[in-house]
Parts: sequence; C-alpha cells; structure tokens
Amino acid sequence: MTMSNLKYFSKIFAIMFNEFRILRRNRSAILISLVVIPFFFTASLGAGRGGEGETYSATSELPIAFIDEDLSEASGRLYESLVRSEDFNMLLQGYREEDALATLGKGGLYAAIVVPEGFEKRLLNNETGIIIVHVDDGSPGVDDAVLSNIDASLSNFNPNPRIKQTGNIEFVGVEIVMKGASFSGFAVGLTITLTMVVVFATFYEIAGGMSRERETGTYSHLLVSPVSLGSIMIGKTLYDVCLNVMRTFIVLGLAIYVYGASIHANLLSLVLSVLFIAILTMGFGFLVSSFGIGVRAVVIIEFFLILFLFAFSGFFIDKELLRGISQTIATVLPWSYGIDILKRTTLIGQPLMSLTYQLQIIAISIILFYGVAYLLLKLSRERLVK
Amino acid sequence: MNRLIRDTVVVAQKELKQLSRDPLSLALTVMFPILLISIFIVISSAFGNPNIVPIVIADLDGSGESKILIDKIASTELVRIAQLVQTEEKALAVVESGEVIGSLVIPAGFGNRLLNAQEAFVVVQTDNTKIMASMNIIRAVTEQKQELLDDLMEQYGLRTASVEIVSRPISGRPPTGDFILPGQLGMIIILGAFDDAVNAMTRERERGTFPRLALTPMNIFSIYSGKMVSTLVINALRTTFMLIIFVGNGLVIQGNIALIYVTTSLIAMFTLSFGLLISSRVRSSATLTILEIAITFPLFQLAGAFSAPEVLAPAGRAISRSLPWTYGIEALRRIMYLGLGLEGIAGNLAILLISTMILLPIATLLSKRTI
Repeated sequence: MTMSNLKYFSKIFAIMFNEFRILRRNRSAILISLVVIPFFFTASLGAGRGGEGETYSATSELPIAFIDEDLSEASGRLYESLVRSEDFNMLLQGYREEDALATLGKGGLYAAIVVPEGFEKRLLNNETGIIIVHVDDGSPGVDDAVLSNIDASLSNFNPNPRIKQTGNIEFVGVEIVMKGASFSGFAVGLTITLTMVVVFATFYEIAGGMSRERETGTYSHLLVSPVSLGSIMIGKTLYDVCLNVMRTFIVLGLAIYVYGASIHANLLSLVLSVLFIAILTMGFGFLVSSFGIGVRAVVIIEFFLILFLFAFSGFFIDKELLRGISQTIATVLPWSYGIDILKRTTLIGQPLMSLTYQLQIIAISIILFYGVAYLLLKLSRERLVK
Repeated sequence: MNRLIRDTVVVAQKELKQLSRDPLSLALTVMFPILLISIFIVISSAFGNPNIVPIVIADLDGSGESKILIDKIASTELVRIAQLVQTEEKALAVVESGEVIGSLVIPAGFGNRLLNAQEAFVVVQTDNTKIMASMNIIRAVTEQKQELLDDLMEQYGLRTASVEIVSRPISGRPPTGDFILPGQLGMIIILGAFDDAVNAMTRERERGTFPRLALTPMNIFSIYSGKMVSTLVINALRTTFMLIIFVGNGLVIQGNIALIYVTTSLIAMFTLSFGLLISSRVRSSATLTILEIAITFPLFQLAGAFSAPEVLAPAGRAISRSLPWTYGIEALRRIMYLGLGLEGIAGNLAILLISTMILLPIATLLSKRTI
C-alpha cells in the first residue's frame, strides 16, 4: 500500500471516528438510533402478530350471536362443531336476528350466525343448507376471520349423517398439496421490521447529520480541512455501516430472546442483505442532503420515503399485485429489490449470490446515488457552506 | 372568563399568522394530508382490486377434467397462466427462479381418480415470500377445483349435502379496500396534530419566544388553549381536504359529517396534549419530529388503522385497547363506514375526551416547570 493510499484511509477513519465521537456525546441520538427505533418497531411487530410459534384465534374471545331458527338436531350439531373448534368460545344464544343486527357494529357483537328454518330439511334432502352470517365489516379483518373460522369449523360438521351411515355415496374431493417454503407471520414481519428500522434510522443519520452539520457550521469546517469530499462520504458511510450492524443485531436479539424467533438464514447473508438496503439509503441520504435542505425537511422526506416503501416496495402488498403507475413506481424503486433480496435470503434461504438481477440493480442504484450526490455536493459547495 | 377567552383567541390568531408566514409549514399543512392519502388510496386499491398474478401449469394428466380445471383457472381474475410446462420439475424451477409466483401441477391420473369417485390431488407451489400474491393463487385454485367438483357432481347426478355460508356485511358494501380509509384519516389527524405540537412548542423554545410568551400577562392555560384552538382550525381544514378526496374517490360516507369533525377534533386534541407532554422533555424539534414518526409507524398497527384491534395477538390487543387513538379511529369507522350516530360512538368520544382532560393539565404543568 502506498503512502498516499494510507493517508486517504486514515482520513476516512478520522471522519468515521469523529462521527462516533459526536454520537457518544449525544445521548438522545444514541437512544433514538439504537434503542427507541429498533425497540418500537420490533415490539409492535411482536405485540401485533404474536411471537414466533404463538398461535391465537382472533375470534375465540369475540362475542358472536348464534341464532337458531331451525331448532333441529342438525343446527344443534352445527353449534357443537363451532364450539368444539375453540374458535368460538363466546357464542351467545337467545338473540333474535333483529336485536343482533341492532347490536352489531357497536362493539357488543362482532357477528351473528343465523341458521334459518328448514336447514335440516335441506340437508336431509341432500341439498345445500344455508347459514347466514351477518358480519361487522366496520371492524376490518374481523369479518374475514369470522368467516374463515366458520368455514374451517364446518370441516368437522357432517351435513347428513344418515348418508354416511348407509354409505350410499362416496364423497369425491380434490386435495391441494402445498409446496414451497413455509414460515411464520412473525418471520415475514421481522424482515419488514428490519428494513424499516434500517431505512428509518439510516436516512436520518446521513441526510439529517449532513443538514445538522450545515446548520451548525461544522460542514464548512470539514470542507476547508485537508479531508476530501470523497473521504467525508466514505467515512460517514463506514460509521453508519457499523451502526447498522449493531441495529441489526439489536433487532435480531429482541426477536430471538423476547419473541422466540428462530433465524434459519445464514447470518452473513442476512447482515449483507440489510447492509445493501442501508448503503442504498445512505446514498439517497447524501443525494437529498446535497440540495441543502434543513433537518425538518429531511424528517418529512424520510416519512414519505417510508410511506413510499410501504406502498410500493413489497413491504405489505407484493409489487406484482399493483397496477398501472403504482407498478411502474415499484419497478423503478431500488429498495423493492433490496427487500426482495432480504426476504429471499432470510425466509427461503436462497443464496445471496444467486440473486444476481436484484444485486445488479442495487449496485447500479448505489453507484448512481453516490455519484450524483458527490457531483452535486461538489458543485454546490459554496451554496452549502453559506 | 372573558379575558381567558380573549387571550385564547389572541394566541390562536398568532399561531395561524405564524403558519401563514412560513411557506414550508403552510405547504405541508395542505400537501402533507393530500400526499399521504394518495399513498393510502394506492394501498387500498391494491387490496380491493389486485393485479392478476402469473402462474405456470404443468398438466401431466391431459384428461378432459384437467383441461376443464385449467380453463376455469384461466377465467379467474386472480391469476393468469403465463406458461404451460411439461414437467413438475420445470414448473417448480420457474417458481424458484422467481419468474412467476406460483405453479400448479395436475398429476397423471387426476381425471381418472375423479371419475372413479376417488380423492384426487393437485400440487400448488408458491413463492411464499410474496404472501398476498401466494394467497390469491391458492384462493383461485381452491375456488376453481370446487367449481369443477360441483360441475362433475351435477353431470353425474351425484348430490351431497353441504353447507353454504352466506355473508352479509352490515354496512351493505361490497368487499373493497376502502375500509382502511377511515383509519387513514385518523392517522393523518394524529400525524398532523403531532406536527402542530412540534410547531407550537419546540420551535418556539428553540427561537426563545416561549419564555417571552410565558412572561406576558397571559395565563399559561390561555397560551395552551390558544394553541389548541389553532390546531383545531388546521385540523378542520385537514379533515375537509380528506373528506373531499374520499368522496372524489367514491367512498360513500354514511354517517353525519359533523360527527366526523367532532371525532377528528378530539383525536387532534388528545394528540396535541400527548405531543405537549413529550415536548416538555424533548427540547429539540428535530428529535421530537423523528420521535413522532417513530411512534406513528407502530401506531398504524396498534391503533387499528389497517385492521381492528380484535385481530391482533392478545398482547397487541391489550396495548391497542389502552390507546385512546384506537377509540377515535374506531369511532371514525363507525360513523363513515357504518353510519352510526352519536349513541353508537359516545363511549369512544368520552374516552378521548377524558384522556385529553387528564393529559393536558399534566403537560401544562410539566411545560410550565421547564420554561
């Protein structure tokens, strides 16, 4: 290694250590960056979806009316099937349909299952017996949970026991054999949480950090020092890479030790996938900061960045399900490829190096962000130090 | 009393004047909810009207029944057949490579087994990293195989008793993604009011104008209620923008519009009180803003913006039910979506009001001590 190379690296490390020194002196920054953000996001995931392996029925404790207008042996068996399923531990009998409908939507009842008159008669005639379920669709998610749990409970309900006894008809069916890696909702949530924590904190640290340096006047000091702009950018990047590694382990630690998550992925692949997203966000952070905006504007842009990722990058809605302009945005948003890499390496254990297409896009985007940011920071040097 | 009201009005006017002089904040007050709701509308339309997912099919049977099943699947609006392949391995490889999200393999003997009243099977492989798309594929196959069975039974005169569930949503609406919009209005109000709290206190502290304001003959309560009034005015503007956008996007608001304003005002008042409480400890506006956003994102889930608290895990449900925002969002949904009146949401509004009445004096006291 030549002397000039050594000097260049020492400047980069000087910037990196300076960033750590600033962080060490700022207690609230440490708290937000390494405690509040990882903890809030991971805890809300665990609270919302339950820990790894934790199963719960969304409907088991919900008051649901069971209105039996048939009062037959079949409707009695249907009631038994629902109760036995343990998805309906609060089935309330004695309601009239109109009273139940008047209570629905006000929190007293979440659904009303009506077994109409003639239910048994239809089943005995080998016809389709109908049950009506009034659902409170003002409580999103509850309606779907109630309907799917009733559907599941019906698999234990024999519509016509007489036929089974005589064995006249064989019931034909088509079984769907599911293939493909399966994982818990918590594992999927963990990839989303990791991405959010990393993007959220990284963008603020880079773009916010640069804006704060400008506002406090230290940016101009840096520029007149013998350190080059490239060293400043690389030094800050290295500092944030270290923080992101720490943050990743904090989130993983919380997920494993508090919520019982089991990480099946190769740890190196996981950390590298996270760092791709982080470095991409850093590049974007430098780009944004080159426009000379204030810290408040940085925070607002950050909010919209996260929302954009929410909507278009496959966080919740797979980008393949988006239509028109939304799909175009999803296609050009480089983070969506980073999230794809993270999900594939973490959830299905796909080797990182096999994701060449996604890696190429990420690499090109990082180079583009850093390159344009470098140029803009160089060109607007005078304006930024004012 | 008159003086209290007069001072409150003066502070409220001052706040609104300050806002009108700050183009960035003014633009944000207008643009922020519009941009935000546009993104939420994209999310809700993806829920309500998802794009068609590509799949590959390997028909190893080649019988009439397997062809009927393929035709039925091709006719759904959930999936489209991107490719027909010859082997199961090829079908699985295409999914694993990420070219398509799912594959359906119809094994040899499928039609024969069905016609001989034996249990047949199909193999569905999905890329489960794409959860919603995978679920749509499974839904399409499940629905169409059932249709095939029903057709066959009818054709061969085999009738078996079954139970059909007829779902009747109490709102009377068809299933769409717009059920999340009332929750999003709530979230926008929460974010806006948080931002108002930052504007109202922290920046005033940073500029050093808050001690001066506190030293005027005005009562500290008048200062706070003035800031509250200005927040309520801005909140009414935000709510109006949102409602116009909702109606423009075809959301039928079933309840009383005035009740929506009352509910959003109570949500804003509680959030402002919470913001004032935090701002008594966190002094920097940038730190407070980042904290505000860090709190808001978990709230999307925990305050029931996307789904009701009842579908959360027990711990999440308990947290959700302890947050006053949850009751505000629930009230918005009941008014806008179900058309309930005051009697249906009185409890929710009372919780918001009582929480504000508890939080606001604490925030005032703490802020007073930190002037």
